[in-house]
Amino acid sequence: MAWARALTFVELELRRLRHDPTEVFMRAVQPILWIGVFGTVMSRVRAIPTGSVDYLTFITPGVLMQSTSFIAMAYGIMLVWERESGILKRVLTLPVSKFTITLGRSLAGAARALTQLFIILLIALPLGAKLDVSPPHLLLAVLVVFTGSMGLTALSILMAVFMKTRERFMGILQAITMPLFFASNAIYPIELMPAPLQAFSRVNPLTYIIQALRDALIYGDYADCLANLAVTAAFSFALAAAASAVLEKIIE
Amino acid sequence: MRDGVCVRVRSLVKVYAGTVRAVDGVSTEVLDGEIRAFLGPNGAGKTTLMRVLTTQLKPTAGDAWVMGYHVVLEAAKVRGVIGYVPQEFSVWNDLTGYENLLIYAKLYGVPSDERRRVIEEALEFMGLSEAANRLVRTYSGGMIRRLELAAALMVRPKVLFLDEPTIGLDPRARSLVWSRVLEYREEYGTTVVFNTHYMDEAERYAERVTVMNRGRVIAEGSPGELMKLVGEGVVLQIRVNGDAHAALNALSGLEGVVVVSSENPLKVKLADAQQGIARVLGALLARGVGVEEVVVRNPSLEDVFLKLTGMTIEEAEALGYREAAWVRRAIRRGG
Repeated sequence: MAWARALTFVELELRRLRHDPTEVFMRAVQPILWIGVFGTVMSRVRAIPTGSVDYLTFITPGVLMQSTSFIAMAYGIMLVWERESGILKRVLTLPVSKFTITLGRSLAGAARALTQLFIILLIALPLGAKLDVSPPHLLLAVLVVFTGSMGLTALSILMAVFMKTRERFMGILQAITMPLFFASNAIYPIELMPAPLQAFSRVNPLTYIIQALRDALIYGDYADCLANLAVTAAFSFALAAAASAVLEKIIE
Repeated sequence: MRDGVCVRVRSLVKVYAGTVRAVDGVSTEVLDGEIRAFLGPNGAGKTTLMRVLTTQLKPTAGDAWVMGYHVVLEAAKVRGVIGYVPQEFSVWNDLTGYENLLIYAKLYGVPSDERRRVIEEALEFMGLSEAANRLVRTYSGGMIRRLELAAALMVRPKVLFLDEPTIGLDPRARSLVWSRVLEYREEYGTTVVFNTHYMDEAERYAERVTVMNRGRVIAEGSPGELMKLVGEGVVLQIRVNGDAHAALNALSGLEGVVVVSSENPLKVKLADAQQGIARVLGALLARGVGVEEVVVRNPSLEDVFLKLTGMTIEEAEALGYREAAWVRRAIRRGG
């Protein structure tokens, strides 16, 4: 019952996307630049050692997560808007638990973010990224993106609870997303980073999500993929729990 | 035991940001099936009170129960029996009307085999069947309000909380909204609690009215009982030519005449309409005060508010504006 109600928020999101899908395509512009321009150029220079795979292949999962994490983390802006309208007040007076609401909205953000997986694969594969998209690998990738984006959406909800205005929310969003991206293994192996940055990247959830994605789509390493997915899932549920604990404060 | 009491509020206090006493010791009881208005200027504490009753805010002190459930200790049970329409828009404008009700029905847990019927009935009842598949952003203000009501009514709540249900609507849309609420209430006996700053709405639709100002209840009763606070008789509204002082001097000491508002146009309360009007006009003319316009009307809740607070509801709002703005900022900051 609680799951059915949580999934209602996913349905809400998909219905909105169906009425206005432009966002899905607008969001594709940045990844096209990263993969199409940055990826192809750096691939040619061979400046970054990426082991057995070429650079373009290496950064595709990183760029994918950059794009999805941005969508997930921007989800809170919608809650800030719903807070200014009466929607959140009303939703919080429904006979639905705070955890169900938080979980549902986190899943909704993840569903929105997941659209990028398919768009980016459609961009990267023709450009020559060597990715294994056979059903089991693709399914694993979907699971990883979905679980990771759910946690990042929960983080976004948490930010919305405390920021409350669009301006502040956008400020903190900028301040968080770029460091998370650059201090992760998204566009270079973390071994290349100075020690303090390496230490940070090891507590950065993006690092685990991207590693799990590379395991699924590039290396085919199931064991490592599941281990990283487990870390991702733990992070996501912890954030969902934290966000649901304070959710009520958003309308105070 | 509830003893037929639907909403019980006891010494309720809500303080924002540690200093603003938005609700300052309110006690009242709404009976089962009653239509109750909370009337007062913006910033009187009506919305805060309703948000406590609908489990959105925890009171700073005091208690409240809805259908016998404590709003803090049994909040989940309260949520199961109430319908609530906030003052602001509470539907998704990038979905259709039908989809909005579908999402709300699923969140309320309406069984899947009943959903379609429940939603279609609600749309039909609110006169929105034809617009059901249009995006809400194409709706008029009145249609949005009726859709929000449909979302609250389709699950047959025991108590309906409406915060300024007709704010910003034109008179036709207002009366349409009210006709739907009244008909629904007639059919299901739902208790209706609404906030308003429209005197005429409280007077016309509520069975009992709680008049609030600055976080406190200043009067309570049926519109008729409240009207008696200003006494029997009529109210005379006189627009004088020139100085209102001269007019006031002329009227002071006249038997059966009480000045309720000393600004131009003057408002005076007459115990006896027939003799009073002649006496007032006679006194004004004798002092050479030019009279531009005279309106005779029955006392309204407006006069009750004026009598109790010494100011009109508009004046109270202007006075309370700075404070209200400050409270809103405090809430926005999350203080």
